[in-house]
Amino acid sequence: MADLFDRWAPLTAQRDALFGEGINPFNVVMDEVLSQTEAMIGGRRTILVGTNNYLGLTFQPEALKAAHDALDACGTGTTGSRMANGTYYGHKDLEAALCDFFDKKHAMVFSTGFLANQGILSTLMGPEDFILMDADCHASIYDGVRGSSAQVIRFKHNDPADLDKRLARLADKPGNKLIVVEGIYSMLGDKAPMAEFVAVKRKYENVYLLSDEAHSMGVCGRYGRGVPEEAGVEDDVDFIVGTFSKSVGTVGGFCVSNHPKFDTLRLVTRAYIFTASLPPSVVASATVNLEIIKNGGVLRKRIERNSEQLHRGLAALGLKIASDVSPVVAVVAPDPVTAVAFWRGLIEAGVYVNLALPPATPFGYCLLRASICAAHTEEQLDRVIGIFAEVATQLGLIDTDTQKVAVRA
Amino acid sequence: MNASAEPSPDTLATLVKILAGFNKTGTELKPETRFTEDLNFDSLVVMEFVAVVEDDFDISVPLNILPDVATVRDLALAIDKILKDDGR
Repeated sequence: MADLFDRWAPLTAQRDALFGEGINPFNVVMDEVLSQTEAMIGGRRTILVGTNNYLGLTFQPEALKAAHDALDACGTGTTGSRMANGTYYGHKDLEAALCDFFDKKHAMVFSTGFLANQGILSTLMGPEDFILMDADCHASIYDGVRGSSAQVIRFKHNDPADLDKRLARLADKPGNKLIVVEGIYSMLGDKAPMAEFVAVKRKYENVYLLSDEAHSMGVCGRYGRGVPEEAGVEDDVDFIVGTFSKSVGTVGGFCVSNHPKFDTLRLVTRAYIFTASLPPSVVASATVNLEIIKNGGVLRKRIERNSEQLHRGLAALGLKIASDVSPVVAVVAPDPVTAVAFWRGLIEAGVYVNLALPPATPFGYCLLRASICAAHTEEQLDRVIGIFAEVATQLGLIDTDTQKVAVRA
Repeated sequence: MNASAEPSPDTLATLVKILAGFNKTGTELKPETRFTEDLNFDSLVVMEFVAVVEDDFDISVPLNILPDVATVRDLALAIDKILKDDGR
């Protein structure tokens, strides 16, 4: 009889061949967190450039105080689901704060962003309905639609014309249709053409639009409401899903909507009903940080500045970057072995980025994925660029003349 | 999928024609050819391939049916069913 785990043997063999001995992305431990942008890893002071902590709010003093107060007032956890004993005044306050932040009538808070997507997408559409999803959507969206009784159709990434073609094929079918996109895609940092998607949506009857703003909330739009705000099409985005684990600096997920019957989902969404609610301290810090984000124009300017510095600096080295300037700067490595050596060279020199390999990446890309924090200083990012230059030169990915020019620039 | 049923020859022929562009292993394309084992299709190739099938037949192929599709015959039968449901 085969062992239970034998079917993953090729995968573990591939991992072992790729990483061998030494540090790898699966055994990175932060032994001490020094700030939003630095930690001790393997006894080394390391600049963190891969945490999705876009606004750097994980140590925001008012959020820390609110969390401490809630901890003292309500304890370490709710020990219950939202539907049972797990709804405290803090959870209702947070939902009200989300309505205010997004200027929507209804909000539901989930225990993680993953669960928000999984819960909403598996529940919203019925057997006669259709979900049309961008092919590059996050695993939580894939898992959500897999649990849905609706028919699921994929369209080409960020391609409104392809969506249009697929909607046209369904135009005669009676069911409702839900388009699912993300504001900014996590791996490459590329942005959805939201206004164009909305224009396609408006051509057809009974079509709804859901956008996952996990990576764009706090970053895009005047008030940080994400790509729909930036594109000026918020009223046409019927459902926004998001997370507190990136810009908001803690953990948790949510969905907001103006649909008058939105609260019905509290009765039928299993990922909401059958899991413990967020601890009061987490809820309190998220509520406070929403207000900071709303008024966070200065932080958004800093992200913009930092994104430009890192993008320009790495591009000037002659490295290939997967998308335009964005808070995600993904450097493309030629193959998995080089990508691993690159990643290891960076971390051993005190720079943490994410290593992302196929099939988790589009186009089969091997990526050194950096994400920008508003709290990164110009000096830190200069140092990051300098270390990228050293490691890339050692690996023969760039020539030294280019490097000298880039470091001077 | 119903293993005893046979797909329409037209569907099968069109499918084989499309598949030729995705056949990196040089496997002979027969109704019993398996996408994963014989053609080495991974999830990304499946996605591209399904998109071409949708456009070529002008149909919607829901992701939901893919777990039941192992062979070229399975897919051809699924396409026949979609065409029939569409009244074509």
